[in-house]
Amino acid sequence: MLNEKPTLKSTGKALLYLLPMLIITITFNIYPILKSFIMSFYTKYDFFRDIVSQYGFDNFKFLFSDPDFHIAVKNTLIFVIGVVPLTVIISLAIALLLNRITWLSGLFRTVYFLPFVTSTVAIAQVWHWIYNGDYGLLNYFLSFFGVNAISWLESPHYAMLALIIMSVWKNLGFNIVLFLVGLNNINERYYQAAKIDGANTWHQFTNVTVPLLSPITFLVSVNGVIGSFKVFDEIFALFNGTPGPSKSALTIVYYLYQKFYTEWKYGIAAASGVVLFFMILLVTVFQLWYSKRHVHY
Amino acid sequence: MKKRSWQRALLTVASLGLALTLAACGNSSGDSKAKSDEPVKISFWNGMNGPYQKALKKIINDFNSSQSKYKVVSTAQGDYTALQQKIMAAAKSNSLPVISQTTYTTVPDYSKNNLIEPLDNYMLKGSNKLSSADLKDIYPSFLSSSKYQGKYYSVPFSKSVRVLYYNQDILDKYNLKKPTTWEDIAKDGEVLKAHGIYGMGFDKSWDMEFEGLARQAGNPLITKAPKANLDAAPTLEAANFIMDMIKNKTAKTAGEDFYWTQAFTQGKSAFYAGSSAGVTQMVAQAPKSLHWGTMPLPSYNGKKATEIAGNDIVMFKSASAEQKKGAWAFMKYLMSAKETAKWAKSTGYVPLRKSATETTDFKKYLTDNPYNKAAVDSLDDGFQSNAFLGFSEYRTKLLETVDAMLTKNEPVKKALTSLQTTTEKIIKDNK
Repeated sequence: MLNEKPTLKSTGKALLYLLPMLIITITFNIYPILKSFIMSFYTKYDFFRDIVSQYGFDNFKFLFSDPDFHIAVKNTLIFVIGVVPLTVIISLAIALLLNRITWLSGLFRTVYFLPFVTSTVAIAQVWHWIYNGDYGLLNYFLSFFGVNAISWLESPHYAMLALIIMSVWKNLGFNIVLFLVGLNNINERYYQAAKIDGANTWHQFTNVTVPLLSPITFLVSVNGVIGSFKVFDEIFALFNGTPGPSKSALTIVYYLYQKFYTEWKYGIAAASGVVLFFMILLVTVFQLWYSKRHVHY
Repeated sequence: MKKRSWQRALLTVASLGLALTLAACGNSSGDSKAKSDEPVKISFWNGMNGPYQKALKKIINDFNSSQSKYKVVSTAQGDYTALQQKIMAAAKSNSLPVISQTTYTTVPDYSKNNLIEPLDNYMLKGSNKLSSADLKDIYPSFLSSSKYQGKYYSVPFSKSVRVLYYNQDILDKYNLKKPTTWEDIAKDGEVLKAHGIYGMGFDKSWDMEFEGLARQAGNPLITKAPKANLDAAPTLEAANFIMDMIKNKTAKTAGEDFYWTQAFTQGKSAFYAGSSAGVTQMVAQAPKSLHWGTMPLPSYNGKKATEIAGNDIVMFKSASAEQKKGAWAFMKYLMSAKETAKWAKSTGYVPLRKSATETTDFKKYLTDNPYNKAAVDSLDDGFQSNAFLGFSEYRTKLLETVDAMLTKNEPVKKALTSLQTTTEKIIKDNK
């Protein structure tokens, strides 16, 4: 099969196999992306009758001069920088620990994986209580260390931090599982060889585990970056359908949502989506370039 | 063998999917024809949940069995936000229902996009119109908010007003009387502050109380024209009155709790300006030992005013003439004295007509449910914000402004002046 020469028939057959997925991808991903690119140039647009009477760059000009959009870009970047490295480090650490224990490891794996399969709204509801300024668990816990009650969800200084903590926690489960797979794929012989060479645990970690785990680390961080750039539902649920106190958790996707659904400015919403697309593309391309040099397969 | 069964499974799924699609297509084409002996189907989208949905179902069933020409089929679309989004999507894909619940503030935008049907031809003309006695009977604030640019576009439906909740135990303990003016509330707050109790509690945002106070002080936030009055003297006075209480710690907003209900039941404040629709929740949440009550909001500047919130029903242009006729019959039915009283009794929303409140049956209901009386008593002083093109955007900005004053300590004057500029721009851009 594998050595078969490509013929018209075999290509057609392959296409037939790919067709179901292609149809879904084209209808729900490719077409909307193209459409929103085009829509971002609509400056006069009758949404319901689909009549465009003017094209131009006004939507992008608006974005670059809109202080709200600047806040959204800034907050999104803070969120990505806050969430991704923490998620990678913490989930790697937990995965290493889980890999060590055999007793009840199945139970712990399930426990850590639970947040991933729970709905974001339910999670946010629980965290809403944890963060409560008056009777929240977190403030109760902090009070043992003499920290005064913090108004996590109502203060513009803490809202983003609260969002980051919740998102890191929520992301852990899936990434831990990925890291565990990676750890299991490292051949035990490398460690044995390292031991013979006299490497201690730390050296084994930095010279065997980290390099051989790099494909997974790369996957986790690319995934994390893309996911974090697109953050929306956590905010909507945690702050009761607002972008946080004084817009402190207004991100690009939240901005897009507001422009589209509450302000009915479709062109501007599409343009902000396009800007987000290029931001993600830029970072992902950078990550790919970096991975070429530092990821060992 | 295994492969074969997979293929068979796939084939089954695919053919099932195809069959369903075909069946769905067949259905919809059958519907539009509507044979003469079958009742005309009136689709009705709404944002009602839980007990409200149940009450609505009952009224719809009553309507359906009261005549044989039309059949109203209601679909719950989640909450109001989800409902708005579905309407938008349906308008885009030409699959709008015949009628839908919506806030009257979307009427300007819907009518500009030619989505909704003016109701004048049904409401004021024709064989099934509202009589002049009917029109006089419906509270004027409801009728005026149904009107846009001289035409009726919606009928009032699920309406609530802002009322004042008071904690009788706190009033007794500190020898205070029920307030007759907003100044009384501020003064009581001073007394209670020494005991660690707030005078007044607000929901997360105080925009509704703010608009009420501004009207009492002299102007609506936005006039019918529309013209923005957001940095006018009465507006600033109203905002300052509320923010002074908050800065003075004689009043507090609910913040992360969204509604002050919880804090009120815990005795954190003597008063709470909240929605009359929240009575149901308050009854459920308040401990039996707590003595509390509701009353109309007190006066300010010698005047009374309370903002009416809630949803109207609109009719979409895309429906057939026969469906529209039926839809109107249903709208009229909902507004009838008997049905609106039934609706009010089962949900806690306010009745839409004066006559509905005067029957012995309804009076008995209010004696049995004293908490619901304040809302009915407030109706004569009710007002609704003026709707205009771009209202939804303006409201987002208004809420952001209130939020900035509360969480960023933005000075009142600065915040409202910038809101004035933004709103003027919204009005101008939508002209």
